[in-house]
Amino acid sequence: MDETKPSVVVLPHRLRTRDIPAAFAEIQGQLKRGAVTVDFGGVGEFDASTLALLSYLRRCAPGIAVRNVGEGLESAFRAFLGGTPPAACEVPVPGFPTRVLHSLSDKFMAHTRSVAKFFVMLSDAIFHTASYLKDRRGVYPGETWNQLFFMGYKSFPITSLLIFLVGVTIALTSAAQLKLYGADIYLADLIGFGMLRELVPLMTGIILAGKVGAAVAAELSTMMVLEEVDALKTMGVVPERFLMVPRLLAITLAVPLLVAIADAIGIGAGVVVGRMSLGILPSSFIREMRTAVGPGDFLIGLGKTLVFGWAVIVASGYKGLTVGRSPGEVGRATTESVVLSVSLIIFIDCIFALIIY
Amino acid sequence: MEIISVRHLAVGYGNVKILEGLDFGVPAGRITAVVGASGCGKSTLLKTLAGLLPPLAGEIVFGTDRVDYASEASLGALYDRIGVLYQDGALLNNLTLFENIALPIRMKLPEMPGEVLRELVHDRLSQVDLLGSAGKYPSELSGGMRKRGALARALVQDPEVVLCDEPSGGLDPITSGHLDGLLLDLKKAFGTTFVVVTHELRSIRRIADEVLVLRDGRLHFSGDLGEIMASGDEFLRAFFLRMADHDDA
Repeated sequence: MDETKPSVVVLPHRLRTRDIPAAFAEIQGQLKRGAVTVDFGGVGEFDASTLALLSYLRRCAPGIAVRNVGEGLESAFRAFLGGTPPAACEVPVPGFPTRVLHSLSDKFMAHTRSVAKFFVMLSDAIFHTASYLKDRRGVYPGETWNQLFFMGYKSFPITSLLIFLVGVTIALTSAAQLKLYGADIYLADLIGFGMLRELVPLMTGIILAGKVGAAVAAELSTMMVLEEVDALKTMGVVPERFLMVPRLLAITLAVPLLVAIADAIGIGAGVVVGRMSLGILPSSFIREMRTAVGPGDFLIGLGKTLVFGWAVIVASGYKGLTVGRSPGEVGRATTESVVLSVSLIIFIDCIFALIIY
Repeated sequence: MEIISVRHLAVGYGNVKILEGLDFGVPAGRITAVVGASGCGKSTLLKTLAGLLPPLAGEIVFGTDRVDYASEASLGALYDRIGVLYQDGALLNNLTLFENIALPIRMKLPEMPGEVLRELVHDRLSQVDLLGSAGKYPSELSGGMRKRGALARALVQDPEVVLCDEPSGGLDPITSGHLDGLLLDLKKAFGTTFVVVTHELRSIRRIADEVLVLRDGRLHFSGDLGEIMASGDEFLRAFFLRMADHDDA
């Protein structure tokens, strides 16, 4: 082959989207050996991808010449791409260190903004709850009771069931170990202490995150997407007060009931296992338990669960009210609210452990 | 007399400007239509007029008061003077239509006697021809009924200005015509000022006293429909001819 004469690639009659990769590969292959002329003379069937290929070859491909572009293809090219600003021939890609630094700084700034927004939401929630308790304005009448019904009554069955199952599991596991040392009776101490101080608060918090937190985030984010929150603002209603205060008050009222019931059920599970597995009489179980735990333990558990409940409401309110405007964001906000709530619960629990013990 | 004056307004999100260099006035007691191609910033302008999106530059003067977007008191005063009709109504789904309309009064004036509030909501429902649906939830209402209900809510505080985001959007011509008739009646009866973002030439013809045409984030034209039709501006002619074709289709 003559090295100085460009090789010619004759394109096929049918050159649509599916045919472009093969044609482009052939052009690139020939280009490695020297200059190329691409002959469009035979092209009869074409589409937008053909026009894009022609545009690219004409503007951005050194060493490639184009010839015999038919009138039909040319007029389509003028009609569709004539008035369009040409695409950049090469998209500048920053170097790897720059990309990594940009990505890290963007993420850092996004997280910083998120944390700041969360604390703004938290302080808003505290301020609006306090001012509502003072002036009793800005919350829809009866809304706190509606929320209490949902958070308390509707959460009670699942909380009770799960606490009972956890109580049985913990009691069975502990009973097997205690039996080895003849320390059967101390099952009562272990269950009483564990339930009141740790398991009930943690399990109740996590159940509230999954059930109540997800529902709150989904409801508020849907209201954002449907412009209901904007509507509240332009009616002169403060959305943070109207939406968050009833939920915070409801969780404050619901938690003591849930904790009291969950404590009783968890201890009941221990009593059942103690009787069936170790032969401990319920009266002995309770008597022994009372030597290890007292009202202070119940109050510590209650206090922890209240803080977990507030964390769930603030986290889900934050996720719900900072959502974008597309419906797809509702699902994302709901998922993120559960993750954030559970993370906060475990983080706060750890802080409690450091303080208390 | 202008009830809203917009001066050198620039609006956007972050550093991206969507509207720039806007100067116009909204005459009191009249209906001003805001038109323009999709994405030209009509709804963004409405959000800024409604106090939801602070401008990047410029100012909005409501009556004689400059709106300060950083001041809750200033925004509160603005919200006392406006009502907003959102594109999809934005009625609260967990409240009945009656409760939706009563909501702004209940929140701002809890001491309002229930009997008076009932009368007030009853009147508003009657104006929008929804008396029979007071106890229904938004999910039980048709699109047109939801919009009329939302209009009743926007009107319940007797606002000086009602901002409407595509009131006819998604409605059949008869329902849309009914809603337009309602705006005209309210303007006539109460002297309410309306700012209406719309795409529909038929609706503009029926209701608009003034038309603001936005193009590429700027105010391209302001005047009445006759002036638009008489103008030799190619963009306006092409735009309104296309709208007419679309309406006739």
